[in-house]
Amino acid sequence: MNHATTLSKIETISYLSEPLPLDSSRSLEIDRSMGVPILFLMRSSFFSFALGLFLVLICSIKLVFPSFLDGVSFLTYGRLFPVAYDLFIYGWAIPLGFALILWLMARLSAAPLSHVRIVTAAAHLWNSALFLGSLAVLAGYGTSVTFLEYPNWASFLLFVSFLLMGLWVLLLIKEREERPLYISEWYLLTALCSFPWIYGTANLMLTWGKIQGSAQGPIQCWYAGSLMQFWLIPVALGAIYYLIPKITGIKIYSYYLALFGFFSLLLFSGWNGLSALIGGPIPAWMMSAGVVTNMMLVLPMIAVVVNFYKMFQESEKLILHQSPALRFVAAGIISYVIATVLSLVSSFPCFNAILNFTDYLSGIFLLLFMGFFGMTLFGGLYYFIPRLTGISWSSSKLIRFHFWLSVVGISLMVSSMLLGGIIEGIALNDPVITFTNILSYAAPWNVLVSLSWFTLLLGFFCFMRLLVIMRWQMIEEKLPLSL
Amino acid sequence: MNRLKSLILIITFLFFLSWSGVAIYSYLQLGHLKTVAGSDGVLPPDYSGKAILGAQVYTANGCMTCHTQQVRQLDVTHSDIDRKWGTRPSVALDYLRDRTAFLGNRRIGPDLSNVGSRLTDPVWYYQHLYEPDQITSGSIMPSYRYLFHMQKIQGEPSALAIALVGPHAPPPGYEVVPTKDAQDLVAYLLSLKHDYILPEVSAETPSAP
Ligand code: HEC
Repeated sequence: MNHATTLSKIETISYLSEPLPLDSSRSLEIDRSMGVPILFLMRSSFFSFALGLFLVLICSIKLVFPSFLDGVSFLTYGRLFPVAYDLFIYGWAIPLGFALILWLMARLSAAPLSHVRIVTAAAHLWNSALFLGSLAVLAGYGTSVTFLEYPNWASFLLFVSFLLMGLWVLLLIKEREERPLYISEWYLLTALCSFPWIYGTANLMLTWGKIQGSAQGPIQCWYAGSLMQFWLIPVALGAIYYLIPKITGIKIYSYYLALFGFFSLLLFSGWNGLSALIGGPIPAWMMSAGVVTNMMLVLPMIAVVVNFYKMFQESEKLILHQSPALRFVAAGIISYVIATVLSLVSSFPCFNAILNFTDYLSGIFLLLFMGFFGMTLFGGLYYFIPRLTGISWSSSKLIRFHFWLSVVGISLMVSSMLLGGIIEGIALNDPVITFTNILSYAAPWNVLVSLSWFTLLLGFFCFMRLLVIMRWQMIEEKLPLSL
Repeated sequence: MNRLKSLILIITFLFFLSWSGVAIYSYLQLGHLKTVAGSDGVLPPDYSGKAILGAQVYTANGCMTCHTQQVRQLDVTHSDIDRKWGTRPSVALDYLRDRTAFLGNRRIGPDLSNVGSRLTDPVWYYQHLYEPDQITSGSIMPSYRYLFHMQKIQGEPSALAIALVGPHAPPPGYEVVPTKDAQDLVAYLLSLKHDYILPEVSAETPSAP
């Protein structure tokens, strides 16, 4: 049990909930030099997120009014849609996860950090590759491989800059004082080390080099599944294991449950992507492996959620109400539970036959992506940013708006995608129903999806507004860091 | 420190289990399939040069975001074949000639693995790409007008000019002709016919039921 106690001193409640004492000596919690890359990564991730939301909103409007902005090559659905998702993943989810990793590393290492500039430089390289790569996809140089759309030079630059940042972190860990790793660090280190392998392998086989078409299908699905299982989920879980004990002051409920959750997640991850090819042109054993592992992913979910639940139960109710971070995290955990159960359902071949290729699966993806990863990481941001800048959030009303707009947006989106997907799937399964009819069944749900993207965008504007206010304050008070 | 080392070892082991089990094994098992001799030539048939260029146009415009190219196996569902999207389920060998396998994961539009067998008239494709909602009412497929160009009719109308009726139809005295990209794309779509019979398919490829 002693691992849990290694979490360094747990702050007092007054410090955690919204108001930070403004007249404090501004002793930032981490090395200022490290604040630079962390804030830079966060800032660029917000920009990508806003842009991604904007583009995906245009895409969803196009599905309702196909003549909206049509006939223009770089605004066509087939280019805009992948760019939006790539911005979400490579522009938002990965830099944000990385910022979290840097934060933890900075907190944990005693010595002043050397060569922080490498990270900032690599992050700049990453952003340029992302930006130019997105433009290239819009110009028609995309690869049409899901989540690997960037042209070779861009994906190669992304790969190199990730390696640079990652190696720097690993060197840092080697230098750190001897002590057991905290469970958050397990998750984050797993994400950090596996991403380059996955990204490199998938690109080697699908874009930089191209293996025979017959083997590409399983690799495509493996990559999409692994991105979820080896980056998004571990980063979000790592964040939660850090945030709950920090904010509530409660130790991890069961160390063994945490261990079990971690290893079972690792065991089943990666394989589960194959469940996207049920009935597809792959060997039967692969399909079964995909189905079984996808079902098994319920186990790690239960393990971590029991742990979190017990911690919430033990903590003071007042904190839950006061801390915006915890509210977001709780919404994230609920999304994780629902998404895992829904995905369990869709991996039964009899249901999958109906649900595959419909919005049902997109709904699950977005529930995990926006609901679990997104809400959790926003929770983290509400915790980290004041500690990085030394300024507290200016308005709890805006935070509440952000929270509720996100919750409403995500629920509306996911439920209309699930329902629309089920209807679409049942209709597709009945060959008497013509395709045009199916389109008309899907139409109302597409309207709701557009509305919900709009709601999410509004919610994000509240967050941006908070950041802008904070930025003004920082400029006024001539703080060394910039947001 | 030993505990940390064993922890890292286990993590590495579990990661490489799925990495080698899925990525490497798929590559080894499916990445080196051989063509087979059919009654009328080598199967799967090679794409023409135009069709290969057309596949690049398909790539560049992300048709894959809305169209799959896979007919699912009968023990999972009959609906793909009942919808006449194919005569038999797709097998790994069908993708042997594809530079990128467009299996896809979302069916906003119909499956296209055998679209070349169902729709055989190139003019239909041109009209549909230019104004999908005029050809199939209620279609939400985007217009690919940018793959065409409008020009003044000089003397005889071009043999390639297509008949159009919608709001973007050419005004009198003008005509719309497909660009080379559009012609390649249609050549590619016309060549999407995976309904040949693979003689030893059950013995050769592991994916037959
Ligand atoms: C926004 C999603 C979307 C995109 C992107 C898209 N399509 Fe479509 N496509 C549809 C829909 C919906 C239909 C069914 C209605 C119709 O026939 O227009 C369709 C139908 C078709 C058909 C007729 C199939 C049949 O069996 O009747 C062809 C051929 C086709 N699309 C080719 C393409 C090509 C080539 C591209 C890329 C240049 C493309 N589509 C991009 C949505 C899309």
